[in-house]
Amino acid sequence: MTNHEEATPGNPGYSRRQVFRYTGIAAAAVGGAELLTACGSDDGDGGGSGAGGILIHGATGGSGKDTLDAHAPVTAPDIARVSNLFEPLLFWDNDYVLAPAVAEQVVPSADALNWTITLRDGVTFHNGKDVTAEDVLFSIKRVADPKAPTSGGVALAPIIDMAGTKKVDDKTVVIALKTPYAVLDMLLAEYTFGIVPADYDPAKPVGTGAFQYKSFTPGKDSVFTKYADYWGDKALVDELHIQDFADPNAMVNALQAGQIQTIDNLPYNLIDTLKGQGGKVLESDTGAWVPFTMRVDQKPFSDVRVRQALRLICDRQQMIDQALSGYGTLGNDLYAPFDPAFAKDLPQREQDIDQAKSLLSQAGQEGLQVQLFTGDDIGSAAPASASLFVEQAKLAGVDVKVVKKNPFFGDDYLSYPFGQSFWNTRNYLPQAAVSSLKGGTYNETHFDDPKFAGLIAAAQRETDEAKRTSLLQDAQEIEYNAGGYIIWGFRRQIDGYSGKVSGIKPSKYLPLGSYKFQYASISA
Amino acid sequence: MADVATLPDALEEVAPPKSRHGAAAWASWLLRRLGLAALTMWLVSVLVFVSTSALGDPVRAILGREYDSNPGRVAQLTEQLNLDEPLAARYLDWLGGLFSGDLGTSIANQQPVSELIGSNVVNSLVLVLIAAIVMIPVAFGIAMISANYRRRRPDTVIQTVLLTLAGLPEFVIGILLVALFSTTVFNILPAVTITGAGGSPWDEPKSMILPVATLVLAVAPYVSRIVRATLLEVLDSDYVELARLKGIPERVVMRKHALLNAVVPGIQVIALQLAWLAGGVVIVETLFNYPGLGFQLVDSVRNHDVVMVQALSLVIAAVYVLVNLVADLLSILLTARARTAISS
Repeated sequence: MTNHEEATPGNPGYSRRQVFRYTGIAAAAVGGAELLTACGSDDGDGGGSGAGGILIHGATGGSGKDTLDAHAPVTAPDIARVSNLFEPLLFWDNDYVLAPAVAEQVVPSADALNWTITLRDGVTFHNGKDVTAEDVLFSIKRVADPKAPTSGGVALAPIIDMAGTKKVDDKTVVIALKTPYAVLDMLLAEYTFGIVPADYDPAKPVGTGAFQYKSFTPGKDSVFTKYADYWGDKALVDELHIQDFADPNAMVNALQAGQIQTIDNLPYNLIDTLKGQGGKVLESDTGAWVPFTMRVDQKPFSDVRVRQALRLICDRQQMIDQALSGYGTLGNDLYAPFDPAFAKDLPQREQDIDQAKSLLSQAGQEGLQVQLFTGDDIGSAAPASASLFVEQAKLAGVDVKVVKKNPFFGDDYLSYPFGQSFWNTRNYLPQAAVSSLKGGTYNETHFDDPKFAGLIAAAQRETDEAKRTSLLQDAQEIEYNAGGYIIWGFRRQIDGYSGKVSGIKPSKYLPLGSYKFQYASISA
Repeated sequence: MADVATLPDALEEVAPPKSRHGAAAWASWLLRRLGLAALTMWLVSVLVFVSTSALGDPVRAILGREYDSNPGRVAQLTEQLNLDEPLAARYLDWLGGLFSGDLGTSIANQQPVSELIGSNVVNSLVLVLIAAIVMIPVAFGIAMISANYRRRRPDTVIQTVLLTLAGLPEFVIGILLVALFSTTVFNILPAVTITGAGGSPWDEPKSMILPVATLVLAVAPYVSRIVRATLLEVLDSDYVELARLKGIPERVVMRKHALLNAVVPGIQVIALQLAWLAGGVVIVETLFNYPGLGFQLVDSVRNHDVVMVQALSLVIAAVYVLVNLVADLLSILLTARARTAISS
């Protein structure tokens, strides 16, 4: 029964922490992007008798816990469902760039304290009602409820000024903040921030997406139909079914037998099977990472030379080749590779055993012995990369013992001196806020650098993009030199689809072109 | 005359009481067995309830790391599970609910349990029923052929094949069938069950073929081997020898004398196997994405959905009890000695 957890790249997790992480991701959306960039009709017509028909999507995971709540998706099937029923104010497009969606624009004031949202004309809910300022206010208040924020509102709830957040006119809303936040628009673009009507009832989910609700059985399937009055590119298929699968093998079998048309999170070991049977594989770069985490406030890692030594021990390409079966891109101990401010000019760190040995002897740590904590709930790449690290460390005379914890994300999580973790795609500021600042919810490395914190705070207030970029690059340099993460790579997302399906493009945000099935068409 | 007159009288007096007595005996046997079944179910209910409650604080298990940070949800779950009351009171509440048809509310998605498990119970029972209808004649047929050719080549071949099948885990058989008929070799049968919009797996009858075939192949070898062994024993017995000496043709000997006596052990094996199929074939259900009981039970355990686990365990226990009751009844009806033991 645990098969599906094994070789699945980016296995969607179930723990609370994992829920949180998915939310911050970046995920969202695709649709807008295609409007801006690729304008024009998708390849729908090219691939044969294009329009119409039923698309059945096989989703990895899912259980009796499945939900259609616009603001509480957890697993891959949940995310696929809300991404088709609901839309946020903005979208992350396929290149992980913000694009307008339900909102025409979102503009900050010079001090980043007030954000003015202008709604797009002609956007309607599935019940025919126009999207108004009231609906947007209701959605914001539901997501960022200070008492019980949903996953999309965890970052927003502490800083939003509810009294000052109000309607200006029918098509305009102002969000007021208590402290400046220069990248609020990134939070508004998450798939967990769908706009719902003011009389929203999760049992009868009404949104603005390209598909509307028809039926739903938790742990089994859902049926959505094409929404004829959708404001953007209307769906090419008439119906979208999303079917849960507990086992990826069954999913691939179903695809080969022609019973389903698309599958997400294809395990690496099934890629060749699928290709051999005429299926197509969709590869997308992501910013998802499975780091090693060193607690900077505990011996021996409190000595920066030890941290540097372990970073130099790591053979990154070998990690990718073995732990990710080659489906990954190199990491440089920095996260958020898609952020416009990503410090890509810092030299790529490579394995250097001599340098590592000399750093260790300077630190008086020759023959270092450490325990490395890992667990199955981190994802399939974690145990593989842990045992690989043991081998690589031997070269520098470091004795690493792997200790398996089940669950890893249990009570001891955040106290492991040397451990592992997983994160999905996010931009730099939202990621640093949770994982690299004192008081961050999941600061695994206990990183607490006053200069770094000052740079982040300044960047959060800075609305000028060039200035912000320079602040963020300074912050990244600090982490590059002294941080507690070993980030050896970013995994590539692998999905599969039938040879009869066209119109699905790789997205850096979510699997299968961010699950935007309105662009998919099926030929007979 | 008086003597002559009294004789029929005596007969009349003796015979009716005997049949009345027989019916009463059957009724009391059945009542006793039903009582035992009820007792078993009650014991199971106690065990299920105590064991699911004794696993520590269910609220902590459900919420995990959220336990400390979300007192509102803790209070809500504590109330939903009545955790403030003593164990005995909670048990009685739950039992009372069962009798009034209220199985409780699922913790994972706040829907009534009866609604959630209803279709899965039916799905599993239908799957088992179809598997039984196919499997029983097949298993008996093979056993008869095999016994007929005892220790000659056809028997050896059949026994080797059966042993091989019995040795293969059922999911391996399933994977092979899928590769053969759905994906790699031929592309003629559906590989999995797709139930759109609240439909049933048999809405597309073809998608039932592979799951049923897998279960039949998994269970038939056991049944067949037991029946064959019993058949051989019976065929060697004195009364079959006598029947043969009387010149009765071998086919009739097999059908009338041997098979009837070999059926009883077969029924017992079949009962156990069918009950197992209802709840224990999680891997096969997963392989075919078949929405059955076993899969739902595993899923509920993973979700710490105590209420669902309790309901599903009871349903599976009930299937065991019921199937075994039917098997015992059939065995007695088919065994002359047991039949007369009850009615006299």
